[in-house]
Amino acid sequence: MFGAGAMTNSIPEIRDADLLFVIGSNTTEAHPIIAMEMKRAVHNGAKLIVADPRAIWLSEVADIHLQLRPGTDVWLLNAMAHVIVAEGLADEAFIAKHTSGFEAVKATVADYTPEEAERVTGVPAESIREAARLYATTRKAGIYYTLGITEHTHGTDNVYCLANLVLMTGHLGVRSAGMNPLRGQNNVQGANDAGATPIYYPGYQSVTDPEVRAKYEAAWGVPLSPEPGLNLNVMMKELNTEGIKGLFVMGEDIVLSEPNAGKVEHGLNQCEFLVVQDIFPTETMRYADVVLPATCFAEKDGVFTNSDRRVQRVRKAVEPPGEARPDWQILCDLARAAGYPMPHYSGPGEVYAEMAALAPKFAGISHERLEQHPEGLHWPCPDPEHPGTPTLHLDGPMVGIAPFQAVSYRPSAELPDPEYPLVLSTGRTLYHYNSASQTLRDPGTVAKQPENFIEVHRRDARKLGAGNGDRVRVHSRRGEVEAVVVVSPRVRPGCVWMPFHFPDQLTNRLTNDAGDSVTGTGEYKVCAVRLERLSPAPVA
Amino acid sequence: MNEPETFEILVDGASITARAGETVLQAAARAGIEIPTLCHDDRLDPMGSCRMCLVEVAGSRRLQPACAWKAAAGMEVKCETERVARHRVHLLEMYLADHAAPATPEPLAPKNQVLQLAERYGATRRLPALEARREARADANPYVHFDPDQCILCARCVRYCDEVEAVSAITLAGRGAKTTIATAAQTQLLDTTCELCGGCIDTCPTGAMREKKPRSVVELAQPVKQVRTTCNFCGVGCQLDLHVADEKVVKVSAPPTGTTLNDGNLCVKGRFAYDFIHHEERLTKPLVRENGQLVETSWEIALKRAAEGLRGVEQRYGAQALGFVSSSRCTGEENYLVQKLARAAFGTNNCHQCAAT
Repeated sequence: MFGAGAMTNSIPEIRDADLLFVIGSNTTEAHPIIAMEMKRAVHNGAKLIVADPRAIWLSEVADIHLQLRPGTDVWLLNAMAHVIVAEGLADEAFIAKHTSGFEAVKATVADYTPEEAERVTGVPAESIREAARLYATTRKAGIYYTLGITEHTHGTDNVYCLANLVLMTGHLGVRSAGMNPLRGQNNVQGANDAGATPIYYPGYQSVTDPEVRAKYEAAWGVPLSPEPGLNLNVMMKELNTEGIKGLFVMGEDIVLSEPNAGKVEHGLNQCEFLVVQDIFPTETMRYADVVLPATCFAEKDGVFTNSDRRVQRVRKAVEPPGEARPDWQILCDLARAAGYPMPHYSGPGEVYAEMAALAPKFAGISHERLEQHPEGLHWPCPDPEHPGTPTLHLDGPMVGIAPFQAVSYRPSAELPDPEYPLVLSTGRTLYHYNSASQTLRDPGTVAKQPENFIEVHRRDARKLGAGNGDRVRVHSRRGEVEAVVVVSPRVRPGCVWMPFHFPDQLTNRLTNDAGDSVTGTGEYKVCAVRLERLSPAPVA
Repeated sequence: MNEPETFEILVDGASITARAGETVLQAAARAGIEIPTLCHDDRLDPMGSCRMCLVEVAGSRRLQPACAWKAAAGMEVKCETERVARHRVHLLEMYLADHAAPATPEPLAPKNQVLQLAERYGATRRLPALEARREARADANPYVHFDPDQCILCARCVRYCDEVEAVSAITLAGRGAKTTIATAAQTQLLDTTCELCGGCIDTCPTGAMREKKPRSVVELAQPVKQVRTTCNFCGVGCQLDLHVADEKVVKVSAPPTGTTLNDGNLCVKGRFAYDFIHHEERLTKPLVRENGQLVETSWEIALKRAAEGLRGVEQRYGAQALGFVSSSRCTGEENYLVQKLARAAFGTNNCHQCAAT
């Protein structure tokens, strides 16, 4: 954020916060150990504001729960900005010194009154006011968000709105404050950092920058494409339109994990050549021409970079099974088989050194140095003497002047209608992990959650004549899935919620692959569905 | 940040610096002076119930618990007097009378601090053993085993469950000598708010709370080795110690409190969901498609086929017709190599990691 796509502050700062504003993050289930830090902060007296369409564990202990309708975040956040501006709570000194474009935001949010926001979001105007005041007037106030913010066609807009709140209150460069996206997977941050993105070389250096390109051409010894690549969402769509004809997939079951699974399957059928590199048989593998057996984290060396930009070691503990090989070796062998002279690295340490030498953000980090730092090193870390940077922007925004972005509300791509009257959101549970290839192979987590379920509000369940434990078929315009009903006080009337973990009852057959206009991130959090009761009707 | 106010206190004649708000135990620990404890855990509010940390405080007639006693300027504390030593031995002998040693030692069981302290301070089983009076209850949960015979009722597990995990699934139940650790309504653990984080096991000082999974490992051909690594599930980046025996991961534990960002804590997945590593369904051989079926082959053939297939697409349709999906589950180095493969070997920027949508 503000010059670095990552948490501005570090995880251990959370316990010292005076206010936590958690939005679009079911932290206790998705990031349990960060949630423990939040619980500690609350135990120590911090205020907690939770914005989530569902009643989640954190909202139960929150001072304010803003239970908004799914997809109306821009309304909620602009209304909070409206209150901050209208009540003179903005940090004018910070705004004048460090930001640009505040006037445009002021003009935009003028229309977003709390009363009008109540009509759209369903959140009482007074709660919006209270939350805005509390957030604006507390110094050590941090924002924590995750995919509930980004998995929308207006995900980038949601993030801009949060950034506007941070900037107008000067909550940047302050310990235990800032703007903190919690990364969903072990190495989301590290994968982006390493350049597994269509627009950046490692360390967020643009592929369109001729100087950067020249540096990599010199290092890698080949001419490189000046054209930005396609993001994942577009790649998946181009499988269907035959723009993409060959695909290499490492460590993701795209059939299970991408939205609108039926369309992904159709696209893979069109694909002429598919290579899959993974540790277990996957659904995607059914379409593969070549399958390369890889290794899990316990079988190889390397680094993961966590949510707070902390680079930490992964160390080999056991041998891989059978002929499986570490992914880094497979990738080098594949490059050489394709005629590219990939160096014969002695190990991942040498690969990291090559990456760090070309990316200033990580230049001071090495496997050797990490041995001396059991707590890891936070980038930016520009040289080997640098201690790393747990908190960003302490000397003002890294980008110099941080721009505000005025954002107006756009509805989600698919809204409920008489044919599909309910709004479906999806998410992770505590007991499983993504496509669950790991957690469905453990008897304990399976005992706790054996199969797919759908949380339904009492009113909607009654309308359907379904009770706890009844089976329903969930229909969307893209597919259908069976699930067990959990009549739940957690969801709003008109809303349902499902986890996405279960391959044989695949929730992503329902979800919408409409992507965010900037990032392409799919709209997993809002699509329209209807329920069909499968169990026999209860005896009257 | 504002530094807290500091002052000097005397511990066993040595002057040490304490911070305002600190307990005697905390100040001593920072100065490298060890005071024995049983019911104390840095992550929990002080309880002062086990009486192991009692010390002499000048001006106070009775011994006082260092874990709960706030340090004050000029305070004089003595931890190693004859009176304190006598107290420690007597206390430990009472614990021993109420504390059965495990019948069969388990290779992966945690250290029993009561037995360790008894040895250190010379406490023996001098007092007659109390009659066993706490019944073990069968619980169907897959991970947590509780042995009441080894429990000293320090309530660390209960307090961890309340204060750190904050789900309050277990409680001190019963009265007097029959007091034990149980779920609130005597239900099975799986039917409570328990989230199976295993923190109760981690904080238990005696091994009364222990893991079910590695109990099956009774005999080991080699000593257990521990490998520090980073968890492979969510983005928090918890540090793990993988316990390896006979080339298998047989247990996962958290590094000690205060040493890594997870501060001694883990969640259900990080601590327990490691069976996948050695699962029989792991892929062990390269496969290629022959006549519509995936069949086993050699690495050489698989790599050649993969390289030729991707090159073929590039030649027929151009590099822009290739896509590379990288993985946020894999290491930084591996992601670096995928983008290098896409960009340098195949000439396309169509490379994105899986968490992008």
